[in-house]
Amino acid sequence: MYDYVLAPEQDVVISSRVRLSRNYEDLPFSPKLTPEYAEEVIERTADGVFNTENGAAFTLLRMSELEEDARSRLVEHHLISYDLLKYVNRSAAMVSSAGTVTVMLNEEDHVRFQGLLPGLQLERSAEMALKLDEALEARYPFAFDHQWGFLTACPANTGTGMRASVILHLPALSSAGQMGAVMQTIAKLGLTIRGLYGEGTEARGNLYQLSNQATLGRSEEDVIRALSAATGQIAEHERSMRETAEKRDMLQLQDRLMRSWGDLMYARLMNAKEFMKRYSDIRYAASMGYLHAPLPGLDMLMMDVQPGSLGVRAGKLISSRESEILRAKILREELQQLVAE
Amino acid sequence: MMCEECGLRPAKFHLMTIINGDRVERNLCPACMARQQKQIPGIDFSNLAGILNSILENKNSEEQPRQDAEYEDCACEQCGMTYLEFQKCGMLGCANCYQAFKTPLTALLQRVHGNTQHAGRVPGGVHSGTSIRMNIDRLKQKLQKAIADEEYEQAAKLRDAIRGLSAQLERKESEIKVKPPERLEDSEAKGGSENV
Repeated sequence: MYDYVLAPEQDVVISSRVRLSRNYEDLPFSPKLTPEYAEEVIERTADGVFNTENGAAFTLLRMSELEEDARSRLVEHHLISYDLLKYVNRSAAMVSSAGTVTVMLNEEDHVRFQGLLPGLQLERSAEMALKLDEALEARYPFAFDHQWGFLTACPANTGTGMRASVILHLPALSSAGQMGAVMQTIAKLGLTIRGLYGEGTEARGNLYQLSNQATLGRSEEDVIRALSAATGQIAEHERSMRETAEKRDMLQLQDRLMRSWGDLMYARLMNAKEFMKRYSDIRYAASMGYLHAPLPGLDMLMMDVQPGSLGVRAGKLISSRESEILRAKILREELQQLVAE
Repeated sequence: MMCEECGLRPAKFHLMTIINGDRVERNLCPACMARQQKQIPGIDFSNLAGILNSILENKNSEEQPRQDAEYEDCACEQCGMTYLEFQKCGMLGCANCYQAFKTPLTALLQRVHGNTQHAGRVPGGVHSGTSIRMNIDRLKQKLQKAIADEEYEQAAKLRDAIRGLSAQLERKESEIKVKPPERLEDSEAKGGSENV
């Protein structure tokens, strides 16, 4: 038997994330933020974060001082948003050593606190972000209005300033053609769902991101509760579809999924798109017990072989062919290790 | 999904552009899509008809921002941002912009969130002045309803509760008035000397 701890609902829910947007009340917002004010945001926040209880665990990373691959790696590991890279000259991130708490600086808002945990753990993710928020607001007040809540650069985030989301792996619902129905139901709940990677309706790796839409008029607790409940229901639905597929023809399902394992173990060239498809298959297989590989390890490996992370590992700029070769090599070695553990 | 350009309207288009071999993909609303088309010379116009159709179909929802035309020249006295500028970039210039553009923003927030009253946490927890002020606002609304419904007993209770909270708020604010020196020290401290 293999021995590892699964986070709640991790067979379907890859991770939970909560982001809180805040702005210092006395400094201009993003469109009017001069380099001097941007520096002031970094100084205040860094000072505040380093002085919290776990302050020593944080590292301040200025985006302008990082190589492009290193920045992409942070995005691929969900530590920072892609949007932070729109403001490379002024933006920064403070990342905790465990990678569970991040503070983004000078993105669309002055400060965005993020809590990120594996599986369905929205409450804890929110707690982590709110704890930092409270520690910092005691030093420098954030822009707040008693009618409109926390004021953000874009009015779409005003109120709680909170965006909570989960990443879901939904291979069985997708192959059963049920995603359309799921999306319609979700929209009625004031939530949005979209493919995490990929374009249009295609969701690469059958990965979806479910998040709250409105930030004004509902409390943080309410939103977290509604999102957790919806996530739980989708996860239940996905599980029952997995069972149905197994009941219909287990051997065929195993055959289809395990062929992807074969491809990953022996391929010499692996592009990102094909990898996501194979990853989805082996994650599905692992969750059904056909393959004894730990899900957290598979998810970490998935992020580690995304383009930016590969570049960081290579230590230099690599061509797309070189990255296909490197991806295939890492997969062969690390998957072998994952199943051996 | 909301438009990745303005963040205010639902995305209806998936725009893929290839610039110097790099593929960039974005989800846009009809208004931002139309703007993009003017900006990007190499764009594929093959589905232009569909785009135009969709813009026409969305005519009703597109009429809303145009109603704000009368506010376009409004400017925030603090940061100088005009409402027109805000409409173009989708972001406000400072906290005061929310007051400067209060009328059009109230309508916008109602459209985006379906609500205009914050119901979440407030700085400093439940005993802060902000929290009390929010409670007073809520009770005042209830009071008006009670009077309209001729429920005078209930109205009297609400009136007393509002008075109580107002007194509490006054005390809070007089406490805060004593506080500023602390904050001054704070902002001086960050200038050079090490912070405790």
